[in-house]
Amino acid sequence: MDTRRRIFLLFVVILTVILLTGSSYAIPAFSRQYGTSCTTCHVDFPKLNDFGKAFKDAGFKFPKGDEDFIKVPQVMLGAPAQKELWPHTVFPGTIPGLPPIGLRFNQFFQYTSGNANNYYQIPPGTPLGGALPPTIPRTDFEAGYFSIFMAGNFGSDIAFWVDDDLSVSGANANGSLGDGYLRFVNVGRFLKLPTDAFTVRVGQFELDLPFTQARSINISPYDIYTQANIGSSSQNVNNQFSMQDAAQGIEFSGGHQYGGYHYSLAVVNQNTSGGAAASPPNVSSPAGFFSDSNYKDVYGRFSYRFNLEKDPASRHDVQAAGASGPRDHTYLSLGTFFFKGRSVQRFNGLTSGGAADVLTAREPFYRVGGDFSFNYRTFNLFGLYMYGHDNDLLLNSGFTGFIPGTPAKFNGGFLEADYLALPWLMAIMRYDHVQSTADFLNQAGSGNYYSPVGTTRDRVTPGIQFLIHANIKTSFEYAFRPKQALTYDENGKPVNQLRTNTATGALEFVY
Amino acid sequence: MKSTFMMVMAVVAMMSLAASAGTISGKVSGVSGESVVYVEAIAGKTFPAPTAKPVMDQKGLMFQPHLIVVEQGTTVEFLNSDSVAHNVFWISIGGNKKLGHNLGTWPQGEKRGFKFDNPGAVPLLCNVHPEMSGYVVVSPTPYFTKTDKSGEYKIENVPDGSYTVTAWHEGAKNQSKPVTVAGDSKADFTLSK
Repeated sequence: MDTRRRIFLLFVVILTVILLTGSSYAIPAFSRQYGTSCTTCHVDFPKLNDFGKAFKDAGFKFPKGDEDFIKVPQVMLGAPAQKELWPHTVFPGTIPGLPPIGLRFNQFFQYTSGNANNYYQIPPGTPLGGALPPTIPRTDFEAGYFSIFMAGNFGSDIAFWVDDDLSVSGANANGSLGDGYLRFVNVGRFLKLPTDAFTVRVGQFELDLPFTQARSINISPYDIYTQANIGSSSQNVNNQFSMQDAAQGIEFSGGHQYGGYHYSLAVVNQNTSGGAAASPPNVSSPAGFFSDSNYKDVYGRFSYRFNLEKDPASRHDVQAAGASGPRDHTYLSLGTFFFKGRSVQRFNGLTSGGAADVLTAREPFYRVGGDFSFNYRTFNLFGLYMYGHDNDLLLNSGFTGFIPGTPAKFNGGFLEADYLALPWLMAIMRYDHVQSTADFLNQAGSGNYYSPVGTTRDRVTPGIQFLIHANIKTSFEYAFRPKQALTYDENGKPVNQLRTNTATGALEFVY
Repeated sequence: MKSTFMMVMAVVAMMSLAASAGTISGKVSGVSGESVVYVEAIAGKTFPAPTAKPVMDQKGLMFQPHLIVVEQGTTVEFLNSDSVAHNVFWISIGGNKKLGHNLGTWPQGEKRGFKFDNPGAVPLLCNVHPEMSGYVVVSPTPYFTKTDKSGEYKIENVPDGSYTVTAWHEGAKNQSKPVTVAGDSKADFTLSK
């Protein structure tokens, strides 16, 4: 691994971390529209409470009698009587009475362990005058995101969402579209299906992950969600896909997040090249293609939530009826998920006749996992395990085709406990674990700043968050990581071990 | 003959009582919107608890009406007209935090009552929707009223005598002043936050 490539990969990793850090959203537009507080839908924004889940499931509106709660009347786009003429088509429809715009800004302060700069030692054999590696500042203030987001309902159970990061990390740094979709809620009613059994979403969206990354309360992302599968030097696997990536496609879903079953099935663009648009040599992208192959990936999820309230009436309500007021249910949710795709790589090879040819390796890959969530009052314990598997196709000796190699695999997950000690104080304890032989073999070459000494990458991340106001939050977390090293002596012992513990503080507000 | 005499005496007594009842009127200024004016407790005098049960509704994520005034000993019924869960609690009555109470949760269309035996303002809250706010002001006597939006008020049928009259407004400091009622009396208040 040459220094130039190492620097490039490092840049990619740092940018990725910045882009992922704290990418969370709450929707003040709803607050304005309904004249209600953030806590109506959020435990600790952007984490949803049971009512917030029901509000989202219903297409960003109150599950029952929405019109009774709206303080800013919707604008009708056609007389209600038009509905008699075209009962299921364009009329009448509504738009929100106020532009449903929310804005958000956040910023960070980071402290990194002092010996982290061991990471950037000049590799042995580097000629004098060669490129110098970068350094890690021990302390750093970061301007984070300035984001705009819009969401609401157009009537007839058609919901919409668009969020975009107008700037990321300082001046002249544009972000990108987060989610942008239309969601046709409960279209199963046209097929006489049970209520909410079938909903369609079209656009760009975060996959229906068991625990959202884009709307997580944590400052740092879940490691397993960011894990790409880059094979070792003896493998040809180079799959940049990670579970937290935004996907473009169509999703079918049904059920509820606040009780009973929930399923989703999505067909989405394949993009394993690691960019919004595929970069050469996969495809040229003059029109900004988002797919890097003809193949479309498939993601599926099924979960079932058992509400454990003793009172049967309360058990089926959106929220449980506690002695001192409504609250989230005591529940146990179990789920599973599956992603299947084919990682495409193209090579300059030969036909069997010896002519120049583009050889395309389509390496099947999948991710599969399970998850659980247990909630008791304001305590929530949840976790996820995931296994990743990429088939490996190696060029044969004649550069005319491929032969199977050793699959690249990884596994890992996380376990997190959230405790809302006070309505404005959230305590968090989290454990992240990723095990990847390829990461270890690649060392820094994997682009992983937090490369492990062994094949296992762990961290423990306690955190605490304060709501200064309902829309202003300050968060702290400290990530304990094991020691790591880039080089090893002749006995296989690590040299210049380093520890990249990081303390991060964030301050964000939405309005 | 005897019963006729008793009736005449009763009528005379009532007429004399009516003749000695007056009004207190005036204006509450310094604040905008409705205020409450009431006569403070009268030493040595008690009043029977009213039987009427006023209703405080929760509708559209709001307490409706926002403010009601009741006499001490009144039972107020709290109704949930919303399709979402609510609760009602207050952290104090008249500033006394020992009188804080949580009524719990009940479904749409049902009511839950509470008898207010202590005078003072009761700030109503919902622990799910922190923006919801309402007030029950408990008057120690039956002599109370709400002002109109301009602050004008009139309390009628107040027996002649000397009293302490208090003006209350949401978020403002109470103001009390002595008032002697002999027929029509005037008392203006200027409240400040």
